[in-house]
Amino acid sequence: MRTVTANDGRILARIIHLAHRFGCTYTSVAARQTGAAYRMEFAFAGPGDALRRLDAQITKLLDDDRETME
Amino acid sequence: MRTGAAIVLDTLESLGVETVFGYPGGAIMPLYDALYDHRIAHVLVRHEAAAVFAASGFARSTGRPGVCIATSGPGATNLITGIVDAMMDNVPLVALTGQVRTTVMGTDAFQEVDVAAITHQVTKRNIVVRSIEQIEPALRAAFRLATGDRPGPVLVDLPTDVLRAIEAQRIDAATESPAQRERPRADARSLDAAVAALAGAERPLLIVGGGTRWSGATEIFRALAARIGAPIVSTLHGLGCADPGDPAFLGMTGMHGWKRANLAVAKADVLVALGMRFDDRVTGDPAKFAPNAHTIVHADIDRAEFNKVVRAQITLHGDLRETLVALDHRLARVSLPSFEAWRQAACAPQEQLPRDDTRHDHLSATDLLDALFAALPDDAIVATDVGQHQMWAAQRVRASHPQHFLTSGGLGSMGFGLPAAMGAQMAHPGRMVVAIVGDGGFQMSMAELATLRRHELPVKIVLLDNRNLGMVRQWQELFYNGRYSATALPDNPEFTTIARAYGIEARLVDNANAIGPAIVRMLESPGPMLLHCACYPHENVWPIIPAGKGVDDLMEAVPA
Repeated sequence: MRTVTANDGRILARIIHLAHRFGCTYTSVAARQTGAAYRMEFAFAGPGDALRRLDAQITKLLDDDRETME
Repeated sequence: MRTGAAIVLDTLESLGVETVFGYPGGAIMPLYDALYDHRIAHVLVRHEAAAVFAASGFARSTGRPGVCIATSGPGATNLITGIVDAMMDNVPLVALTGQVRTTVMGTDAFQEVDVAAITHQVTKRNIVVRSIEQIEPALRAAFRLATGDRPGPVLVDLPTDVLRAIEAQRIDAATESPAQRERPRADARSLDAAVAALAGAERPLLIVGGGTRWSGATEIFRALAARIGAPIVSTLHGLGCADPGDPAFLGMTGMHGWKRANLAVAKADVLVALGMRFDDRVTGDPAKFAPNAHTIVHADIDRAEFNKVVRAQITLHGDLRETLVALDHRLARVSLPSFEAWRQAACAPQEQLPRDDTRHDHLSATDLLDALFAALPDDAIVATDVGQHQMWAAQRVRASHPQHFLTSGGLGSMGFGLPAAMGAQMAHPGRMVVAIVGDGGFQMSMAELATLRRHELPVKIVLLDNRNLGMVRQWQELFYNGRYSATALPDNPEFTTIARAYGIEARLVDNANAIGPAIVRMLESPGPMLLHCACYPHENVWPIIPAGKGVDDLMEAVPA
């Protein structure tokens, strides 16, 4: 389970698309708006390499998210 | 008080934008109205796809972000291939799209499309601006993101009512926007490990990739390479980073790379990969890639690239220029063994690219490119389209700087070459800019001849016309039992007539004797010119490592 906070709530959709692209599936997803941001929790299942790549991509998306506003 | 559209242009100007490429339409009309008497130059293309490729050519040849504009709906969707192209090749690009007014968004209004949703996976970020107050911070964020860290495209969607809105009071530049984040720096322990790996190496090899160009690391790369003294190979996007005259430079590696470059990758014991992502066109079968390398050092700004395709024993996560500076400082304090014997062995014997017999009565595309590259000035900018001519050019180009060779690598987008050359020519009005295109790709962007004429852009177009979709035809010959499905183009038009109809000087070359004089005349022509080269239709690109194979499977001719 990974918990993240993002300014752009659409990131959740992007992460799910990425997971499926990498051959993973999500086993649990939850999100709620907290103030101007979104708190998201998700868990994925899939091959180890793909999960590591997904994790790295999520980190990158969140880095970019911190530089923008919506 | 300004309109939203005026704020867009003022902000672009404050960000250093002097030129934009675009095509007008309904929802974006307020922005075009503001452009009517604004200082920013607008290049009217003939299809939105050309706008984004031209912006990409501008960015690739300058390192600065390119800007393209399209209206909502079909205008926006026509940008998408170029946006993906920029994402794949790390090109800093800002796409501005018109959008239906905010009050009808979501109602399937005329020319409404949710371009933010469509481009969500293929941009670094997109931003839908919903109020006039958001315009400036959105644009500033877009430029920061497009150029920061690993560059890429950002789309800003501008509803027409936001563009028409009038500021209630002067909106000052946003001060609360977060500063660009600090670029990561490779950690000292990993840098020391990389130095130790080089110090213990017998056959080290440097692979230089496109990250070197985007981090502005060309000079420090050359200095570092000279200090190490190891042979160098390049990816497609790394071409121009190594000095083409450096005797340690073996050329491009990968599917259509030089045999010596691929053999060096296979023999190396320590591989130092700089700003590259181990694309499948470089590695072939990853399991067969660099089989003798006990240590792979991978330096990149994007940690998501580490161990994605090829396992690296040492990763250097950071801005590549700073990484190379740090490596250089460390290497200055150690005594590396001489790699001269290995370098000489890797470079010898002097390799000639294998080529087909073109039967002497036809024009050879490779002969023509050899002559072209010999005649071009050192600072010429070459843009290619996608296909055989692209690979022939990549094998032969002697780019003295990576911003001198522009090509669609990751996505391989046909139709890229001519508009990319237009963008480069806008950025470098005094320079020689050449578009090398095939007959397939040229017909995807041929209408841009009108843009050349309109803006008096002296781009030289070298059209290698083999009346085939040549690369696909080659694969059909090699891998599909010669079943040439939908690749023959015997009904190509008379290209010189078409060019002349647009007011572009044009000349046909159809034999080897005419090559030299035609190239001289083209390079001396003050305006745009089309050189229509009627080439032998079955000339192939050699060598080739078939997709998913290794260097042992390298082919230099059609199997007997």
